[in-house]
Amino acid sequence: MIVSSMSALIARDLRLAVRHGGESLMPLIFLFSVIILIPLGVGPGPNLLSAIAPGMIWVAALLSSLLALENLFRPDLDDGTLEQWWIGQCPAGALVVARLFSHWLITAVPVIVFAPLAAQMLYLPAEALPVLVLSLLIGTPVLSLVGGLAAALTLGTNRGSVLLSILVFPLIVPVLIFATGAVSAAADGMSASAHLGLLASLLILAITLVPLATSAALRLNIE
Amino acid sequence: MIPDFEYAFYVWTSYGIFAVVIAWQFIQPRLRKRRIEAEVREERALQTGSYE
Amino acid sequence: MIWKTIKVNFHRLGSPPTFYRLAEVLAPWLWGGFAVCAAIGLYQALYVVPPDYQQSDSFRILYIHVPSAWQAMAGYVVMAILAVIALVWRIRTVEIMAMAGAPIGAAFTFICLATGSLWGRPMWGTWWAWDARLTSMLVLLFIYLGIMGLYAAFEDRRKGARVACILILVGIVNIPIIHFSVEWWTTLHQGATIRLFSGESTLHASMMPPLVWMTIAVKLMFGAALLDRARNDLLDQDRRKGWVQSRLGETT
Repeated sequence: MIVSSMSALIARDLRLAVRHGGESLMPLIFLFSVIILIPLGVGPGPNLLSAIAPGMIWVAALLSSLLALENLFRPDLDDGTLEQWWIGQCPAGALVVARLFSHWLITAVPVIVFAPLAAQMLYLPAEALPVLVLSLLIGTPVLSLVGGLAAALTLGTNRGSVLLSILVFPLIVPVLIFATGAVSAAADGMSASAHLGLLASLLILAITLVPLATSAALRLNIE
Repeated sequence: MIPDFEYAFYVWTSYGIFAVVIAWQFIQPRLRKRRIEAEVREERALQTGSYE
Repeated sequence: MIWKTIKVNFHRLGSPPTFYRLAEVLAPWLWGGFAVCAAIGLYQALYVVPPDYQQSDSFRILYIHVPSAWQAMAGYVVMAILAVIALVWRIRTVEIMAMAGAPIGAAFTFICLATGSLWGRPMWGTWWAWDARLTSMLVLLFIYLGIMGLYAAFEDRRKGARVACILILVGIVNIPIIHFSVEWWTTLHQGATIRLFSGESTLHASMMPPLVWMTIAVKLMFGAALLDRARNDLLDQDRRKGWVQSRLGETT
């Protein structure tokens, strides 16, 4: 019951994303805008670019995650579908997880897939590439979780988008710090396991607490 | 009276920031209370039609 | 019997006129206590304590910086407790109190960051560093501002307060990070020198008294300002209700 409801929701979200083709490409557009424009701004020196590469790729991941948050729950609230989440047999928390999972699939997976290419374009050393992909795999779900929480909190307000960004930033600062720290450590030839371990603990913390807080916030905002 | 400190600027600015912020936390609620009371009086005067 | 009185009075606090009266009576005492403790603390900090061997007079900033930092964190913990009560028992006056704490906490975080910069510039040569403690304090400031912004963005005050209470509880993770940041990472900010429970503090005994006075002063001030702001919020929300009308009817 739970699994079929969740997969139905995920399938629906993905179908909608495919239909809105152009919008779904925004994550990739962000990624490549960042890696093309910033070298134009700071100069093409390989040392500088490889030093800021982890941060650049991660900021691109963050921006693409933020972009899709505004309309994460609002269309469903407007047409009444969101209330159905609490009426059916499937617990609302599971559906929240499903929605956040599809958000992650749409905004983060393209970035993860193309991150190695982007990293090569920024002269990031080859030994850092696996750590980069791993940090993205562990860290971007936290972005989706925290972003979804912020979207749920600001759902009942009118001018949500600015507030949403302000709420997201302080909460994902640790993710950015550990993820970019991991990649920088790997690029310097050192072990990134401490950073990745802390990142993983953030993911575990987020995945246990955030769906609960998010469904509580959604419940409040539906009334 | 006022002692002569090394790094006087930094010390006094810090204490000054503290004083200003605390003073604001004291004053602002009183200003707001006065405004609320004025608004309530205004509304009541609108209803009863009596202005003094 | 005692437990029953406690319970009754706890629920009586939920009554707006009772809460208003209590806050009205208590706040001046707290302000008075703050004034006394701050006067003693400031006098000692500026006149009594001798200049430091290494930092000469700039270390006096400690007596503003540290109590403000402690109160920024303690205030958040108080708000988190109020938030739990507000979400579980849905008491309106507690929701109002939780929200009233945010501007004051933000003010203390600001004082901490500003005085920290003013201390850092002459001593360590920089206004700012992106190390663990400074960054997590800045994050705390943004969380406070986020709570204030979220609360203000709702037209329905009660719903806004409860949504913001969820945010308060999410942000509580930051408090242990701030506290332990100097232990977990090597930072520019110095490590913990003042120990409450685990033995000797490395701060010299002659320098302690003003710190104690200022810490107490700042706690009293937080309570006083919290009650003042909560009173106003309550007045604002209930302005059309009978108890406000009759109370203001007396004063006009």
